[in-house]
Amino acid sequence: MSVNPMAYEAQFFGFTPQTCMLRIYIAFQDYLFEMMLVVESVILKKLDGFPGCKISPFQIRKSTEKFLLFMKEHFDKLFSKMEEVLLQLVLNIPKNVLLPEDKVHEQYPYSKEQFQALQDEIHQLQKQYRAEASAGQALRAELEEQKAVRAELEKILQWFDGLENICREHGTGNFKESFAFLTRNSKKLQDVLKDVEEKSKKIKKHDQLL
Amino acid sequence: AAGGGGPGPGPGPGPPVPAAPGRAQVFTTVVDTFLEKLAAAGSYQRFANCYRCFYKLQPEMTRSIYDQFISQLQSSIKEEIQEVKDEGNLDVLFNSLDKIVEEAKNREEPAWRPSGIPEEDVRSAMVPYLLKHRSYLRKVLKEKEEENRKVAESVLAGRDRIAELQQLIEARKHAWQ
Repeated sequence: MSVNPMAYEAQFFGFTPQTCMLRIYIAFQDYLFEMMLVVESVILKKLDGFPGCKISPFQIRKSTEKFLLFMKEHFDKLFSKMEEVLLQLVLNIPKNVLLPEDKVHEQYPYSKEQFQALQDEIHQLQKQYRAEASAGQALRAELEEQKAVRAELEKILQWFDGLENICREHGTGNFKESFAFLTRNSKKLQDVLKDVEEKSKKIKKHDQLL
Repeated sequence: AAGGGGPGPGPGPGPPVPAAPGRAQVFTTVVDTFLEKLAAAGSYQRFANCYRCFYKLQPEMTRSIYDQFISQLQSSIKEEIQEVKDEGNLDVLFNSLDKIVEEAKNREEPAWRPSGIPEEDVRSAMVPYLLKHRSYLRKVLKEKEEENRKVAESVLAGRDRIAELQQLIEARKHAWQ
């Protein structure tokens, strides 16, 4: 006889149906025995009020046992029928029924391989994201460096422009030209000076001869 | 078929089932039937027969003792049933199970059952979270890639600009030599 553990039902009800039935059986049986004892004691008490009667407690006990035995037999038969119905119709979950809490198993029946593939995919995405994140950091670092470098270069350019502006302000137009002009003029001056020197030398000589 | 659609077992306490009554109803009916049949079996005739000597002595008392016995037994049993129902919150559970069974009435294939191996069963429970996580990762990865693409463009433009500035400076330098 294979025993159905009714584990799914236990999941739903919070107890095993068979345990529930057993508890009820024991409780019912206890009441039956209790009631019979009460009946017996009541009868015995009543008999005490009839001192002349020939009925012994032993006879009463025998009657009680007889009745109890009879009741117990019927009780067991009736109870087992009741238990059958309850276990089949009331305390059971039909084979085609899935409890709502287990819906995921119907929606996502992933095999070991599929599950592993999904996990691998996620690891892969995480790796890629980390790579992109560090690439982004490196790019932004370069952007900052570029800002600093650009600032320096622009400063230098501004300095050059400033220099030209100064020269323009002082009317010498192109410094290069002025420089060249200056150079030519000083050469001319030097030539003139030389001339003057020679001429003055000639005059001195003349004066000496006179 | 679910609920009370199946036939009752033999001439036992199976109640006539018109349109599938709920589990709570069946439970109550089944217990009532049990008590009825028990009382019928343990009839007054049987009782009086067993306690014949006392019955002969005190027939009325016998009757009254029997009546009390049966009624006390039945009310104790009913009380016990009610206790079981209250402790297990059975009425609520029965109704909810009836609903669940009703919703599944068009499905014929056997449904999933726990395999008994937690590592296997927990997989399906985790899948929805993993799927969510995966789609989140895909989204942020895409955003990050897009962001980086833009920054990369700025970086390249910046490099061009710096090269340009360097050229201008070279030109000025030459002009002054």
